[in-house]
Amino acid sequence: MTIDYYKPEDHAPLPPKNADVLTTACDHCIVACGYKVYRWPVGSKNGGKKASENAFGIDFPSNMLQSWVAPTQHSVVIHKGKKHNVVVLPDKDTNFVNTNGDSSIRGGLLAQKCYSPDRETRDRLKTPLVRINGKLQPVSWDFAIDVAAQVGRYIIDTFGEASYGVKTYSYQYIENTYAITKFALRHVNTPNFTFHDTPANVTSTPGFRDAGFDNFGPSYDDWASADTLMICGTDPYETKTVLFTQHIMPAIAKGMKVIALNPRETAGIAYINKMGGLQLDVYPGSDTLVLGAISRIIMQNGWEDKDWIKTWVNNKWESNSGFGQGTRNTPWQWRTTWGKFQTKGYEDYKKWNLKQKEYDPEYAAKKAGIDVKKLYKAAEWLAKPVNGKRPKTSIGIEKGFYWSNNTGNTNAISTLATICGTGGRPGQVVGRFGGHQRGGQGGGGYPRNKSAQKVPGRRRQALDTDRWLYSGHTCMAHVVGTTWIQSMAGSQAMAAKFEELVVKNPNQVRSNNKQDVIDTLKKRADSGGMVVIDQDIYLRDPIGAKFADIIFPAATWGEEDFMRANGERRLRLYQKFNDAPGEAKPDWEIISMLARKMGYDGFDWKNSNDVAEEASRFSRNSRKAFHMVKVAAHIEGKTLHQKMREFGTDGIQGPVMYNYKTGKLYGTKRLHDTTVGEKQFAMMGLEHGPEKANRYGKKMTHFNSQTGKVNIQKHPWGLFSDLWEWLSPRKDELWASNGRVNEVWQSGFDDVEHRPYITQRWPGNWVEINPADAKKRGIESGDIVMMYTDRLPVFTTTLLGVHGNDFQFSELMKNGYIKLKKASVSAIAIVTPTTKKGVMYGNFLDMKQPNNSLTVRVPDNISGNYNYKMGVAKVKKIGESEFKKDFRGMSFAPRNIT
Amino acid sequence: MSEINSIEKEALSEKESAQAHGKCMLNRRKFLMYSGSTAAAASTISITLFAGTAQAETRQARVQGYPRKKIANLSQLKDHQPVSFNYPDDGKNTQAMIVKMGGVQAGGGVGAKRDVVAFSYMCTHQGGPLHNTYKHVGDQRVMGQCPLHLSTYDLRRHGIIVSGQAYQSLPQVLLEVEGDDVYAVGIMGLLFGRENNLSA
Repeated sequence: MTIDYYKPEDHAPLPPKNADVLTTACDHCIVACGYKVYRWPVGSKNGGKKASENAFGIDFPSNMLQSWVAPTQHSVVIHKGKKHNVVVLPDKDTNFVNTNGDSSIRGGLLAQKCYSPDRETRDRLKTPLVRINGKLQPVSWDFAIDVAAQVGRYIIDTFGEASYGVKTYSYQYIENTYAITKFALRHVNTPNFTFHDTPANVTSTPGFRDAGFDNFGPSYDDWASADTLMICGTDPYETKTVLFTQHIMPAIAKGMKVIALNPRETAGIAYINKMGGLQLDVYPGSDTLVLGAISRIIMQNGWEDKDWIKTWVNNKWESNSGFGQGTRNTPWQWRTTWGKFQTKGYEDYKKWNLKQKEYDPEYAAKKAGIDVKKLYKAAEWLAKPVNGKRPKTSIGIEKGFYWSNNTGNTNAISTLATICGTGGRPGQVVGRFGGHQRGGQGGGGYPRNKSAQKVPGRRRQALDTDRWLYSGHTCMAHVVGTTWIQSMAGSQAMAAKFEELVVKNPNQVRSNNKQDVIDTLKKRADSGGMVVIDQDIYLRDPIGAKFADIIFPAATWGEEDFMRANGERRLRLYQKFNDAPGEAKPDWEIISMLARKMGYDGFDWKNSNDVAEEASRFSRNSRKAFHMVKVAAHIEGKTLHQKMREFGTDGIQGPVMYNYKTGKLYGTKRLHDTTVGEKQFAMMGLEHGPEKANRYGKKMTHFNSQTGKVNIQKHPWGLFSDLWEWLSPRKDELWASNGRVNEVWQSGFDDVEHRPYITQRWPGNWVEINPADAKKRGIESGDIVMMYTDRLPVFTTTLLGVHGNDFQFSELMKNGYIKLKKASVSAIAIVTPTTKKGVMYGNFLDMKQPNNSLTVRVPDNISGNYNYKMGVAKVKKIGESEFKKDFRGMSFAPRNIT
Repeated sequence: MSEINSIEKEALSEKESAQAHGKCMLNRRKFLMYSGSTAAAASTISITLFAGTAQAETRQARVQGYPRKKIANLSQLKDHQPVSFNYPDDGKNTQAMIVKMGGVQAGGGVGAKRDVVAFSYMCTHQGGPLHNTYKHVGDQRVMGQCPLHLSTYDLRRHGIIVSGQAYQSLPQVLLEVEGDDVYAVGIMGLLFGRENNLSA
């Protein structure tokens, strides 16, 4: 293992008084803390220790919580061709999000991310590359774009648009995602399209969608104003750090109760437990059972929120209404399983729940591997009135939860929330906590009717691009800013398929002549092979390093003006403050060059503001609608980006409204806000309804359902139980679940390999094993272990489902659509009580040893998402890592020490 | 294998003589006290870092500048009872502690069992006070959680973050032993709130 060890410095420069100061926000997790970039030329004088001599206006040494520059927060970058110092620090003056100028370890190190010829980031991609004679060779933009456009055009014209696959990030700035989706969906119009985290272009939280809950309705202070907060499948301290440290943590200190549904006890959960919280440490995938049982306990005791249910839950007739389209044509009916989720209202749900044997608390607790008393306690905290007063309950979920049993878990939590009166009121909110930031802006609709995949029932389902590729139908894989292979389930099987279709195809480029390159790649497609285009900031292995035929170097954070929203829909401008490396260009520009060359119109943007201004009107129905910012900007004679810059790190929360009378813009604190009154409408100039370009959609004051009320849903365990029972560990197997850690979270794409400080902490792949499981297998911390399985189910074929159960796991198995594959991953063992006995917790996205290799590659049969957290494996010691005895890297200290 | 590790082995095999300690610490000091090419004032010598590894490189190492200050007597340190001191001066943000970690060897540790280490008391996230947060669990030794934002540091591994938000490892005070006297001779990492450890 080669590691760039961190070399601690004992000094760092202070920015001088006259340093340029630009605002931005963190590039990493959903919270998007506000940051300031201080920039001054190398060679000019640094700031001094006196308040009058530095840009912070404070004396050094500084005090606790004051500004300070750690050596890792300084970097030397290129700005307008000249070397400049930059210091990137959390904004101490911001009024929202990271109040107090707080930051996470990820944001705190933003300066390390910048391209610098003198640092680890020197290996950024700088020129377009084309693979010739097996090696990636630098070429001009014209050359690379010509090849990509001609081959792409040929593939679409010859094999149809579904042969042109686009796999892209969904979040890396509004300007880029708009351009990419305009190209892929509106112009190429391919159903072979999806985002970085899912094999098909589907909703991440089907249960929320069908209930009518937006994923990101609440504001950050909402999460701190409940009496009881239930956190499912995440430790917000690790993964939305500042939401936890600045909002949730102070509320816990003041007495907010927290229920954590999570098999691991990481630092934040340990803090919650220390403060008297309740941890439901369930086995992976058993959440639906636990939630169904808690709902049952609440209903049997009559603790449900009767007033809320009466006012805000759809009854039989409302459940069936579909705004004139009929019950058969609402999204949740498209999910094929008519009658499986729909209820005739609360009483009907209650009757159903009480009839299901698996929601008996004893049964549920036993399957989940927890003490049944915890379920009763949770029910009390969530819903039992104290002195006649109901507790205010909020519920937040994230991937550990919705990537375990995607449909069932999100159905069950929506129902539990509704029974508790959660949703649509301050301190009573429901939503996702979030992963990456929200930078998606659709530039075209997904052509569902072109998908070759159909589930039983009426509707076609968004195409599973992995299975489509696996079946040999993808001739062009156009990848934008994602690893594809490591980030999808069954990674090793997928890599083998890429190799077969790309590298082992006889048509390999052997000539520098452009026409030869084009002809060879066309022949590759003709012969059943696949061509790969990769746009990224670094050369990723294997998608770029081994498979890509054409590589486009991308510019990123800090190298272009971009817009994006965070997990409370807060929009900010992320300002350009340094030059992109070499000839790298932002993705919107790369796409515009390619699209024009392929003959598509409407890609003549001159700068990123042009793209944002075009995109704005398509944002109007979105939770982060920013169209009115542009309207206001133009009235004031400014551009959209100029107006956004004025908001600094405070930004503005979408959807944004504009009062034409006062000329003021108003953000939206929370969606589904049932408490909004006349006064607020009048303030926004909307007392007579939305004026002019303003749009005030249903989700502002109601839920996203056919009636505006909540659909209370059933959550049948049987849709998932056959897979769960089949998968459950046999003999000496353990659950092989996975996830990420605080130090590397939404930052894996650059910080593990380019920040020695992080590399020394996590120098290789790792897995947490409970001491009891480790002892039995003779494993100690620091040992290298192999996790291996011959029970990896892989769903291989694209199907048209006909009968109701065709996509049920047991039926797929019976009918031969599931192949059992072998997979193995090695990792450094961390023996720790933080993970539950019987459950291994591996590193989600190691580039060399992707834990997803062990993840069941059978998409959720209703939603089409992968359940990445589900896998089983045996584990054995195969050696010892250098870190077992060397003190310079890694740490084996448990993360739950309080 | 890293140089630190080989030094430790070498030192342990040489029967814990004072001379061996001195040698060890001199090497360690060379190893730890390098600075980047931008360092100007201090006198420097050439040393080889990470000898024998793929990362071996010759750098200019700073070998002077930090005061040599006696901070404890080895014989008076009691297991798991940190003793406070100030270093490199008595000015702001210099509070540190030295602790004997119950016979568990640590990177940069001195004493017969290499279990005596010293660290800054100020969290390198936002300067939170880490007083009274030393903990020993099994063979793990940590400082934390910081009362402000819960950062925790591994005292066996040069103050590497265990879990938390800090921008650098907890600054480790470099120690030398002469007879029963323990001296602070340098700091690895920048003390919170300072722009230079020696600027007071």
